[in-house]
Amino acid sequence: MRKACAFLIVCLTLGSATALADCRVHRGEHVVLYSTTDDPSVLMWDSRARLREYHSASFDVAQAMLPHAVLVSPGTHGDVVTCLPGYVVSPLFASPDDAVGVTLSSGPLKGTVRWVLGSDVRPRHKN
Amino acid sequence: MRSVSFASVTGTMLLTAFLLLSLGFAVEGSFETRAEIANTFSRQGQIQQAQIDLEELLRLQIDEENLLRGYLLTRDPFYDAEYRTASAGYDEKENEIRKTLGGQLLGADKLLADYARLQLEWRNTVAAPLLAHPRVRLEELDKRNKLFSDYETLTAAAIRRELAGKGDELERSTQRQLDRSSYLRAAWVLAFGLLAIVLNAYRTRLNHELEEERAVTRILQRAFRSESTPLPHCDVGSAYLSASSDRAVGGDVFDVYRLSENRALILIADISGKGVDAAVLTAFVKFMVRAIALRNSDPMAILTEFNVVLSKAVGDPYIFVSMFVGLLDTDTFGLTYASGGHDTAFVRRRDDVAQLAITGPVLGVMEEPFGSETIYLQPGDTLVLATDGLTEVRNGAGEQLSGQGAMELIARASRGAQQLADELAAAVRVRGGSRVRDDLAILAIRVLDGATPRA
Repeated sequence: MRKACAFLIVCLTLGSATALADCRVHRGEHVVLYSTTDDPSVLMWDSRARLREYHSASFDVAQAMLPHAVLVSPGTHGDVVTCLPGYVVSPLFASPDDAVGVTLSSGPLKGTVRWVLGSDVRPRHKN
Repeated sequence: MRSVSFASVTGTMLLTAFLLLSLGFAVEGSFETRAEIANTFSRQGQIQQAQIDLEELLRLQIDEENLLRGYLLTRDPFYDAEYRTASAGYDEKENEIRKTLGGQLLGADKLLADYARLQLEWRNTVAAPLLAHPRVRLEELDKRNKLFSDYETLTAAAIRRELAGKGDELERSTQRQLDRSSYLRAAWVLAFGLLAIVLNAYRTRLNHELEEERAVTRILQRAFRSESTPLPHCDVGSAYLSASSDRAVGGDVFDVYRLSENRALILIADISGKGVDAAVLTAFVKFMVRAIALRNSDPMAILTEFNVVLSKAVGDPYIFVSMFVGLLDTDTFGLTYASGGHDTAFVRRRDDVAQLAITGPVLGVMEEPFGSETIYLQPGDTLVLATDGLTEVRNGAGEQLSGQGAMELIARASRGAQQLADELAAAVRVRGGSRVRDDLAILAIRVLDGATPRA
């Protein structure tokens, strides 16, 4: 798990800086997770490929992929590690969505790094 | 003399037919466009209703999920009962949307079917296990619930986009149809207007040509037209019917021409043929006879010389002329006449009508001598000269009037010369109707009652 996370961080760091420029959120930004669908919980994925595959697959294939996902409660905090604009494409989306790498900073999975959909991430406004 | 050409009349009729046809197409096109627009509006209405029903469906689906959550949190049977009511309402609304779409929007129908399948699967694989074991919360069930939620939300959004897109498409289609209808109407109005302008210009030109033709006809008629000069102690009347529709010229001619103070040339002739061609020869006949009579007023000599001239000057073997030439002495009322094949000359003395005998053959056929006769008219007597258009007019049964019938008409006619001529012409019109095929000339000369013949 640690090696995977380290590898992930290195790859993303070596990734194009311009990739972050078109995303709605930016590296290091503090964010809150909640979904805009009827269920506000957020599914997080262990790889960006699975994140994209989940949204482009059929319903049955998506069901089979659920073991690779974790479900976090709406309102969970996190910090943006990286963002790939327009990475996730789905026939049900009006337009491609971003793939955002997030380090969770609250909840039972605090400290883990996972991939989420860009529309499930909101900048956190500090009071 | 040029007449309205058949081509001109045909051209007017063709233009009129084209205008009527164009008008018919335009009206039909308007009805079709109206029907198309009405159909488009109807489909737009269906889509709008489907959009409203879809939002209601989503509300019922959210109700189902929220009521399930409520039951899981509180275990209150109220939530369970409401959940089942919401489920039934969801199914009913889904059927309504299917009926509204009616299979016309394949994309939206497929998405709706996917949505319904997701909801059914959610009920079977998430809701039912939770209802059965409300105290048990499994992470996997939560994730499956999230999966259904995501897919149903996204599918509903796709259905909205599909319906909105179709609605926009129909709106654009309606606008195009309206525009096309407006442009089409404008084009038709423009076409009609242009055609009307062209037709009016054509008609104006036609009228101008007709007026020119009438002017020429009037000039020519003055040359060809039969004339009757007033005579002393006499009442002169005349009538003319041309077989060529409304034209006042034809192949018959009469003339009353004063040669001197007390001598008048009386002429009536029937030239073979009719219409404008025969009318041209009438001028020749009238003026040639006058010219001959001025040198030699003997009717027998006039016919003889004219016969020679006709044969040599005209040179057409198919032209012949029946002619009555008389020299009337207005002092003694003696009438010396020669008749070349002209058997429609009569004298009415009170109620008795006698036919004047022919004194020679028709002119232009052979060179034969002509004879002459002399009669004396008394006050009140009427000389009635006509062409064969009088005796040969046929009734509906095809029977000719004949000389006897003509004499009966003359006997019954009014005493005045002009009235007599008019009555004879009217009788021919009545008897012949549309079957009149020959020209008719009538000349009536009546010696006034107070006239006193000199010895």
